[in-house]
Amino acid sequence: MSAPQPAARAQMALRYLRNVERQEVAVAVPRGSVRHVRLPDDATRAHLVTAVLKARCEPGEELELLGEPVRELKRAARERLRARVGALSPICGLITSLNTWENISLPAAYHGHPPMAEVERITHEVLASFGAEPREFLRRLPDQLGTLERRIAAFVRLLVAAPELAVIDGLDEGLSRSEAARVAGFEKEYRSRHPEGTLLFVDTQEEDDL
Amino acid sequence: MQALREIEGGVRLSLNVAARIGQLRKPPILESFLRQIYFTGVTAATGVVLRASVLGVMIIAVTMNVLDADVDLAVKILLLVVFREIGPLAAAVVVILRSGSAMAAEMAMMRIGGQTRALRYLSINLYDYLVLPRAIGMMVATAVLAFYIQFLAVLGGLILSPFIIQASFMELAGRLLDLFQPVDFYYSTLKSLLFGFAIAVVCCYHGLNPPDLTHNAVPRVVTRAVTQSAMLVLTINAVFAYIVFGILFFGLVRATV
Repeated sequence: MSAPQPAARAQMALRYLRNVERQEVAVAVPRGSVRHVRLPDDATRAHLVTAVLKARCEPGEELELLGEPVRELKRAARERLRARVGALSPICGLITSLNTWENISLPAAYHGHPPMAEVERITHEVLASFGAEPREFLRRLPDQLGTLERRIAAFVRLLVAAPELAVIDGLDEGLSRSEAARVAGFEKEYRSRHPEGTLLFVDTQEEDDL
Repeated sequence: MQALREIEGGVRLSLNVAARIGQLRKPPILESFLRQIYFTGVTAATGVVLRASVLGVMIIAVTMNVLDADVDLAVKILLLVVFREIGPLAAAVVVILRSGSAMAAEMAMMRIGGQTRALRYLSINLYDYLVLPRAIGMMVATAVLAFYIQFLAVLGGLILSPFIIQASFMELAGRLLDLFQPVDFYYSTLKSLLFGFAIAVVCCYHGLNPPDLTHNAVPRVVTRAVTQSAMLVLTINAVFAYIVFGILFFGLVRATV
């Protein structure tokens, strides 16, 4: 990856390059955009999502997040950067010993923001928009939820955290056609709440090859 | 080498818990702390009523019979053996078997299922959210449970003794209050707090560091956590008795200074 000028860097939410075993993957996502990226395989996808969530890259990888190259970051700066990104991914699943409400509200309760009233409002609004009955939905454990419901719960948790860069990994995997149509509404929902945010959908080509 | 690594890991875990105790004010951590007290202390309490009462009765019955004891000896046995030593140890055994094993298994399942990783990605510190409330909660619960067991065991012993020796319940209770010193209470409470902390740290350490990330690791984690907790509790008990009273093994070994 050639080093871009600082001004150009600031315009980018994500620049990722992976060059391992003669396979090169390059992803660039401008700030405030919505991008759909198809990666060659699940391993590459997992590497990308993990690198973003950790704000750390492995040998053979280059990563810039929200204008900052992560390789040189000190621990505190890395922590601050990590707090500005989020993902809906199997890599970052729900906690099975907590019910859905506790899963959604845990990051806000731990970090002290946003206020719990705000979390509750967002949760009820989003669940209503996806046709879920909040009281019943929120008291169930993740193991008592279906695939679609788990994904909705994780999406609400992501929305509450309001990351500047949100990565949505394998959005419709394991869902039926009608369920996939419902989760397609995630983009609109995210956009309506975070017009300045960046949304990156990643999936793999392997699914189409099957 | 593995033993050294485990000791080093346990010490590091303990220091982290001590350093981060202020985090207990955060709502989800406080909730987890209260939940731990409930599961370790409150739910265990109902199950130990009969066992604790029988414990005091058995010890008094056997020693009275063997030693042909009088009032003084009966009360001393209740105080020195049942109150100081057996009560906290019995509470530690209950906590290890009921909560320590469950805690180690839960942590191992979370680690294997990638949930500890998910917490880290949510910028939630594992020490804060998983270890701290469990360690402090288990400390408090063990101390309270020990006091509960001591009370029931001593009461059981006092009720039974009049049937074996020539003394009334009031006479025995009065003699017990005469002999009882605040140091007995502080000693057993401090010891119980240490037992609870040690059990929680050992179980959390093994739960968070399974030998591999397969489900086969869970029973191995639980076995190691339970056996090492029990060994650590016995070691603390022996060291504590030697430091405070200059005795080891119920007085069989005495300090020379």
